[in-house]
Amino acid sequence: MSQSAEVIPNLNPREGEKLSPNFHVAHHFRDANTQFDSGRMGVWLFLVTEILFFGGLFCAFAVFRSWYFDDFVEAHHYLNKVLGGINTVVLICSSLTMALGVRSAQTNNKKQTVLMLAITLVCAATFLCIKYVEYAHKFHEGLLPGKYFTAEGFVHENARIFFAVYFMMTGIHGLHVLIGMGLIIWIMIRAARGEFSSRYYAPVEGVGLYWHLVDLVWIYLFPLLYLIG
Amino acid sequence: MSENSQESVHHDAHGGHGHDPHGGHGGDHVPHVLPLKVYIGTWITLVVLTGITVAVSYVDFGTGNIVIALLIATMKAATVAALFMHLLFDRKFHAVILTSSLVFLGIFISFTMFDTDTRGRATAIEGDKPELVAQPFKESRSDEAIKAAVRSQYGVEPAGGGESKPAGEAARPGAHPAGSGEHH
Repeated sequence: MSQSAEVIPNLNPREGEKLSPNFHVAHHFRDANTQFDSGRMGVWLFLVTEILFFGGLFCAFAVFRSWYFDDFVEAHHYLNKVLGGINTVVLICSSLTMALGVRSAQTNNKKQTVLMLAITLVCAATFLCIKYVEYAHKFHEGLLPGKYFTAEGFVHENARIFFAVYFMMTGIHGLHVLIGMGLIIWIMIRAARGEFSSRYYAPVEGVGLYWHLVDLVWIYLFPLLYLIG
Repeated sequence: MSENSQESVHHDAHGGHGHDPHGGHGGDHVPHVLPLKVYIGTWITLVVLTGITVAVSYVDFGTGNIVIALLIATMKAATVAALFMHLLFDRKFHAVILTSSLVFLGIFISFTMFDTDTRGRATAIEGDKPELVAQPFKESRSDEAIKAAVRSQYGVEPAGGGESKPAGEAARPGAHPAGSGEHH
């Protein structure tokens, strides 16, 4: 028994048939592997567009930070590191449960797939709740973007620029989390209906890839906004 | 989780090699399943690295702070991409796709920063000498030639050496105020 990464436990083809009754290989694909691989590659291409999308925002952050360095350093202290750190761990956990959800679909474990996706959803909701708490506090203090900035007590006068960048980046990221939640609910419903199996789990994998990207963006957002400023 | 017991067994997939009425051409897709401990290990790595990032942020390394933060973030990102997103076990081209986007992003951000961080440096050198820009070659730099060149290029009357700085700066389109960090 070799300890190999190629693990294919318990693949009963009849179980696969039961679980994915409508699965078939489209005629223009050579075989099921090609079909699956093409789908996954397509999702990666989409992720590239997402990376470039957020990349533009990161570039704006870099430019404004260079122009208004002192303002950024001062303003970033008004972000709650603890809440941000908790959010980071929450998203990492959601990434784990999402990956385990994909794994459960791969191993024909329908109940576990639904469970893992549900936990991912809960983590995502937690992330958004914590974000809401942070935003509420900022609104209360007048720490708002651009022309809506009304807070007092700043040494440097351009903290509004930092908060413009902060709200833009975390806001769009939060929107992606929300969209991700919608996708996860969709996949969860399909999984509960028994549509996924070792033969067909591509949608779970695709949503998983999207979700990991959302996590990746936060992995960069958190240190840059909260810790470095 | 019950499937742990069969994790280390490697056996060929029995699934529908061409006999499966629902399968297309040839056999079914065989999923590449990673052992559970790989996922847990990745998760632990990520949480530990997060802790390190936060801890390091409390120490002042100057510019080192941002370098370290980005370095650790990249390690976390690489871990997620390679393991959770399966890139390590995928077709290599998928990793090429990801890497190429990061390369483009790198070019995008670094060149933008090259530009914005060095603005105004030329103005300090050339700003008060429009005649140098108008007529860079000494031979053609007679007084009349210079005055005519400044007039035609900048559309202002050359006021003589020391006073031509405002004319040169105002006339150049999109002129940046000298010195960075003073953008209002």
